[in-house]
Amino acid sequence: MSTETKPEAELKKRVEGVAETLRNQFTFLRRDRLAFAGVVIVAAFVFLGLLGPALAPHDPIEHTVRDDTGSMLRLSEPTGAAPFGTTAYGKDVLSQFLAGAQPTFIVGLFGGIGTGALGFLVGLVSGYYGGWVDEVLMRLTDLTFSLPFTPMALLLLTFVTPSVWLMTGIIVAFLWKMPARVVRSEVLSVRERTFVKSARASGASDLRTMLYHVAPNVLPIGFLYTAYGIAWAIAAQASLAFLGFGDPTVTSWGRMLRQVFESGNMRVAWWWVLPPALGIAAITTSVFLIGRAYEEVINPEIQTEQ
Amino acid sequence: MSEFQRFLAKRLAISILLTLVAVSVIFVVLRLLPGSPFESLVTAGNLSQQQITEIRAMYGLDQPMWRQYLSYLQSILLFQFGYSILRSQPVWGVLAPRLVNTLILLVPALVTTAVLSSLLGMYVGWNRGSKLEKLSIIATTFLRSTPVFITGILFVIIFAYNLELVPAFGMRSISASPEGYVETFASLDFLHHYILPFTVSVLYYSGDFLLLARNGVVEKRGSEFLKLHRAKGLSEMQQLARAGRNSMLPILTYFALRLGMIFQGLILLEVVFGWPGIGRELVLAIQQQDYPLVQAAVFIMALAVIVANLVADVLYAYFDPTVSTSGGGAA
Repeated sequence: MSTETKPEAELKKRVEGVAETLRNQFTFLRRDRLAFAGVVIVAAFVFLGLLGPALAPHDPIEHTVRDDTGSMLRLSEPTGAAPFGTTAYGKDVLSQFLAGAQPTFIVGLFGGIGTGALGFLVGLVSGYYGGWVDEVLMRLTDLTFSLPFTPMALLLLTFVTPSVWLMTGIIVAFLWKMPARVVRSEVLSVRERTFVKSARASGASDLRTMLYHVAPNVLPIGFLYTAYGIAWAIAAQASLAFLGFGDPTVTSWGRMLRQVFESGNMRVAWWWVLPPALGIAAITTSVFLIGRAYEEVINPEIQTEQ
Repeated sequence: MSEFQRFLAKRLAISILLTLVAVSVIFVVLRLLPGSPFESLVTAGNLSQQQITEIRAMYGLDQPMWRQYLSYLQSILLFQFGYSILRSQPVWGVLAPRLVNTLILLVPALVTTAVLSSLLGMYVGWNRGSKLEKLSIIATTFLRSTPVFITGILFVIIFAYNLELVPAFGMRSISASPEGYVETFASLDFLHHYILPFTVSVLYYSGDFLLLARNGVVEKRGSEFLKLHRAKGLSEMQQLARAGRNSMLPILTYFALRLGMIFQGLILLEVVFGWPGIGRELVLAIQQQDYPLVQAAVFIMALAVIVANLVADVLYAYFDPTVSTSGGGAA
């Protein structure tokens, strides 16, 4: 009854509520086999992203694979010495694949989280406060929508030496608009609900109402778009690297594909193409499969049907 | 209707403002960042100091920044893109054929995929839980989330290199040298080169249309108006047609948006297939630091997006009675 315990109890209830939602979502994931397969692939990718470079048998750039006579093995098919074959420059494809997972992972993770977080905040503030705040922020998103991503990113990367973190920054700067718009429209509908109005009426400040009453209700869609953001970031990074605008000092999957494409060996060296190509395809597809499964849960209009 | 006109005027004003800002951003990025195509010429020692000054004056690079900006603004908004530095011919002369090449690849692809995938999406949405639904969702999820150059590479390896059904690169055979658009595009050789990039773009864009149509129909399935139609004794297909028609709006607006992103979206596709379109030209121009060409290409891409956004918004406001602020008009 005392006023001191009340916030704590409130907080506990809220934490339990969140835990409950999480549990439900995990149960759901187990039921949807596609999404579950996606989770397994994502887990494998995270593992590669963290430990890939350590697992690589050779240095992806320095080491040159040689045969018994000591001459460089160029474009060798998969053999015992190089299980995934070698590149046109005599490098071990397996090592490049393992090491290349890391930059892909870093840009994907931080690009996705940055996109989700920035977009969520903008959408939340914009939708909650409305008025001129909303107008300014939405025109800003319109602006980023009208600046075409790939050409602008290429322009910037021409003049600035690309690094993994710069790529992450550019990707976030262009992608936050997606979650921002969706979160905003969610906030607009949540804002009108009775419990939000009653919170305001009982004297809660704007900030408190926004963070404690509105934000939790749009959090699922924020998470969903963070997941999508990760897939977009991975795709964007791979695309830029493929066009030759990636970090030149780092082996990434996109860069591997660029090298095989540039060197004109796509016709023969399938072992060089497939690992990075399938790696990128698998991870982006998995993220979207998981996201789609969530979307079915979050979108009540689809959910009510069976 | 005056409400709608006011909305239109506001939306139009915003689009114009956005165009100005986008154009200015392009200017800032291009002029304020280091590096100039003349530097490479100068360091190569091919030009005398006088020649350099002359060329700089010719391109207006000796003017103060604000004056450059104004003349840039004036010319770009009038579609006067100037001369390509490296190709020494008018930018528009370089870009126009590329633009046509891009459009001829992508507009038919987009229309095809919008029609086919939406129909398929409505069908699988109606037959919820079927094998076909699962399969089409996996397939389109894969196709739309995988970067398009990877799908392109895989298709090239399978259909061009291994099955040797179609050529892997370019828009026509090296020996072919057609004159004029008709001769270029109305030939078997062109068609032969066309199939693979066309198929890949159809597949790449299929996912969003399919999911939009499916979700639309799934949402409508339980709704009251369909119960009425069922009670009236309409067949399954007739009911689906009505549910489908009512899910057309998001598909329509999405189509408009996609049309705007068409140039930038498939830069990668054009690079993989060696398709001489505007996206590939932009990548080449950036590599050669050909400013006028770069700014024109980026401007066209940005303008396409702005116009498409405008069209999509207006379409939505015009067709969806629930968006209109005039109130009263029930559906």
